[in-house]
This record gives sequence, structure tokens and C-alpha cells, in this order.
Amino acid sequence: MAGWDELGEALADYQVTCNGNERLRKMQKDWSKTLHFHCEDNAVDFTMVVYHGEIVSYSDGHDGVPDIVVMTDSETFCDMFWGDLNPVAKYLRGEIKVRGSQEDVLRLDAISSIIWPD
Amino acid sequence: MPADAVARTAAVEASAAGTVAPVAPAPPTGTVAAGGQLRRSLSLTGATMTSTGLAFAVIDYIAIVSVLTYTGGASTWLAILIAGLLILLVSGLFSELNGLYPTAAGIRLYMARAMGERFSLVVTFAYLTSVLLVIAADAFLIGSAIQHVVGGPSIAAYAWIIGLLAFAVGGNLGGVRIAGRLQAIVTATVLLSTLALSVTSLFTVHGTYGHPFNIFGRGAYHGVEALVYAVFVFAAFEWVTTAAEEVNSPRLITRALFIAPIILFAVSAIFSVATAHAVPIGRAHHSSYPQLLVGKAALGEAGMFWMLGVTMVAAVNTFNGGFLVASRFMYAAAREGLLPRVFSKLNLKAVPWAAVLFLGLASGVVAAVVFATGQWLLLVAVGSVLEAGIYAAASWCVLVLRRREKDRVRTFKLVMFKPLAVFGMVVFAVLMLVGAFSDPKHPSHLSIAPAAVVVALLILSTGYVFGAVPRIKAKAATRAAASRPRRRPQRQEAT
Repeated sequence: MAGWDELGEALADYQVTCNGNERLRKMQKDWSKTLHFHCEDNAVDFTMVVYHGEIVSYSDGHDGVPDIVVMTDSETFCDMFWGDLNPVAKYLRGEIKVRGSQEDVLRLDAISSIIWPD
Repeated sequence: MPADAVARTAAVEASAAGTVAPVAPAPPTGTVAAGGQLRRSLSLTGATMTSTGLAFAVIDYIAIVSVLTYTGGASTWLAILIAGLLILLVSGLFSELNGLYPTAAGIRLYMARAMGERFSLVVTFAYLTSVLLVIAADAFLIGSAIQHVVGGPSIAAYAWIIGLLAFAVGGNLGGVRIAGRLQAIVTATVLLSTLALSVTSLFTVHGTYGHPFNIFGRGAYHGVEALVYAVFVFAAFEWVTTAAEEVNSPRLITRALFIAPIILFAVSAIFSVATAHAVPIGRAHHSSYPQLLVGKAALGEAGMFWMLGVTMVAAVNTFNGGFLVASRFMYAAAREGLLPRVFSKLNLKAVPWAAVLFLGLASGVVAAVVFATGQWLLLVAVGSVLEAGIYAAASWCVLVLRRREKDRVRTFKLVMFKPLAVFGMVVFAVLMLVGAFSDPKHPSHLSIAPAAVVVALLILSTGYVFGAVPRIKAKAATRAAASRPRRRPQRQEAT
């Protein structure tokens, strides 16, 4: 089980990797969203704000009204943000639950697919 | 930029796009639970129109005429009513399955849990094929309708087909998406226009209208064949379950699943009555644009042009929904290692370009075969068989999952599930078999053509799942193992 400190570390790396990827920034330039995450195992909540494809902030707790809500266990979140896990398989097995438009769900997965192409 | 500013920007963008239900008032910071309200969610009207729009394609006009040829005329509405009642059972089945797994990947998920991974893949790929067939059929039917009105050599119809598909592929690759509200308007326009022209033809044409309750007038077997095609009129309405993540409650999808078939019944039944009344059956049956004939009967040339416009608008829904659903499915399957990796490649508009191109090419090839052979009714037959098979499979899933996952929370439970699910399995299996040997081109004959096409598709799908998928998965695993070491730092246990 990963706490906020471990998640924060993973998110910091994820933010740097995403924001440093030119192709991703170009692809997501019209994508501004508030994302809420919920860890089902330890009830840790956190928020990520994306503005024109740039991850501008992430914070402990839920902030604002979400466009997308993602729910899974904290270990999966950590592995996902470090790029050690392809989220699609878990999503298709129902282990990652998402709420939001299909377009946004694809955009979210596109991030992983672009920054870690296998 | 602070979070609240971003939220405001997104809210303004959402409002300008005008695609969603009214924005719920923002709760105080930190109070939105994990399952809280989304900023943009699908409303009941949106979900209902999505379901109706997914079902009502141009091919439905042909399906209705096929029902008409089997019933012999005025009782077609009764066949559609009986099919509609069966479809309400399907609504219950999919409501329970959607309540169990409210996700866009739901169909894959509950089929895998009930039937096993590989069998579920075979069924899912067959399902994808039916989407491809509908896209191809609609492209062919619209091309034919345009050529009929505009005139010119018959080859011009194929040029129209290729032009339409190229337009749809180009739009998809460019990231053009029809917003929810516009899609609802498109669907409403198609349904209301069909209704208006049908009703008008009833008053302007002095046709015949006899035996409105004699569904088995051409024999009991033909009556059952009529039901096969009447069920197809509702086909794909259940795809609204892929929007399960876009609503604030799964119950909304349930309501849409029960309302959409009623709307579809009303429009289809009245169109069938109008066709039986205003157009000679033989003429409607041998035409790939019966809706234009009804329009012409109702209001002359103006009615025909109106119906051509409706046909083209209906295609927008099919191309938008079909390409979107199928290409995203292919993207997810490729990301999971079930399809070649190229299908997971995205362009700068975040569109899986290879999947969209493949769908466009495959639709063009199928449409060319239909154009060359004139076998558009075979597509209706194959689609009907596949859809009946899917509904039988859904009945099986409900039965099995009630036993295997009896403690899992369901937001909807089908009452008397055992007798109803067994009934659904038997009825749809029978309809599938009857459809597999029907010949809608020559209603008095039997044909093995639909069965042959469906079996060929299943063999291809099975061969792919058992032959190619393990190899693609092994390749992906090797690639993943060789690509790079684990990035996440190992944490030391506290002493």
C-alpha cells in the first residue's frame, strides 16, 4: 500500500516526464482537465490539473469539480505513474475504474502510450 | 494556473461546446467524493438519443422492408412490436450487465467473466465485424440513394460510396467529433422526418391497407423470419452501455435502454405501415432506397429530396458512432496486445489513425463487393444473425454471472432472471438459426449464404484469437521485458 508521500514522488516524476515530452504536449494542447484520483485500498485522494496538455499541479485531496475520476489501488497508481504498468490491461479487467467521457479516457491513456511506448 | 482558474476555463469551454447536461453547482473544495458528480455528464435525453441514434442507421429502412416481405404487408408493425417486446427483455439483460460492470469495456468484461477470455474475444471480434458491416452497408445504401437522385452511370454510385467513406475517414483522422447535443439533434431530425413523411404518405396516397394483424399470413415460418429482421431494427441500441462512464449514475443508462426501443418501435412501425400503404411491396423490396420511394409517394420530388437529406444525415451518426466505437476498441485491443501494435498508434489529434484507416479500407472493400454483387440484403441477414447471437450470449452471461458473482453489487437486477434469461437464450438462438438460413432477396426460399458468412467470420475470429493473439502477446511481453528496467524506486521497509 502506497501513501501520499510515495504517490507524490511518482506524480512528480510523471509531471516532469509528461511536460518534457514535446509530442505529447503538441497532441494534448487542446486538453484542459481536472482529474480526481481515489485509492480504493487506503482512501487517499489526490487531484491533478492539466492545462493545455501541461500538468500544472497535483495535490493531496480532491480539489474542484472533476472531468475525470480514476479509481484503483495505490500500488497500481504508483506503478502507472512510474511507467512500470500498462493501465489498459487493468482497465479492461475492471481493476482500474474510470468515470469521464470516452474521449478523455483515451486521452488519459494516450499519455502513457506516448511517454512510455512499451 | 491555479486549479479553480483551470476549472473555470474548462467550464466555459464545455458550455461553449454545448454538449452536456447543465453543469452541476460546484461543491466546496475537497468535498467531491470519488464517485461524485462529473463536470460534464451525459443526461437521460443524451443517453436515450445516443442509444436510438446507434440503432437507427440507413440499413434499418432495408430491414423494415425485409420484415414487410416476410409478413406480406400491413402486419409488419405487429412483427416490429413483438420484436420490440423481446428487445425490452434485452434491455433488462444489458441493464443488469451494465449495472454489474458500468464501464466502456463492459461487454468484453462480462463476456470474459462468464465465458472465459478466449471465447469472449471471439464474440467481441465478431461483434466488431457487425459494426464494420453496418458502416459498409450504410456507405453502399447512401451511395445508391444519391446516385438514384442525381443520376449518371451506375458506377457513379461507387464513386459516391468511396467519397463518403473518404470524407468520414478524413473527418475522423482530423479529430472531428460530433458533439453530444448535435448528435441528439441529428437523431431527432432523422426520426421526426421519417415519422412526418410516413404519416403524410398515409393521407396523400390512396393505397391498400389490409390484414393488419395477420403476421403469419405467409406461414408460421415466414412469421418467425420476419421477427429475425424486426429484431435487427433495434440492433446496436445496447451500445449505449459503452457510455456508462459518462453518466453520473448507471441507472440513467438503464432508463435509456428501456426508452430507446419504444422510440424505435414507434418510428419503424409507422414507416412500415406507410411503406406497405404507399409503395408496391415488390418495388420496395428490390430497391436499395425504399425510404426515397416513401418520400416521393408522400410529397413527390420534394419528399424524395427530403428523404435523401435524411439518409445523408443518418449516415453522419453511423459514420461518427461506428468509426469512433470500432477504432477505439481496436486501439484498446492493440494496447492490450490483442491486435498488432500499429493499431495503438495515435496521430497528433489523439486519433488511432491506423485503426481508422483500416476500418475505412475494409468498409470500402465490403461496399465494393456489395456493389458488384447487389447482395445488400445479405448484409442485413448477416447482421441479424450476429445480433441475435449476441443477445443469446447476453442471456447466458446474466445466468452465469448471477451464480459466479452473486455477491457483487448490481444497480439493476432482472426480475425472474432464470426463466427470462433461459427464455432469451432459447428465443434468440432460434432467431439466429432461422436467420442463418433465410434468403431476404427471395423470401420464399431458404439460403445457406448468411450461415456461410457468419461461420466464415467465426472461423476467422477463432483462428485469430487462438493462432495470432498468443504470438502478438508473446512479442509484446518480450518487448516489454527488453525495453527498460523497472523505474519505480524500491522502498526500504521500516525497521
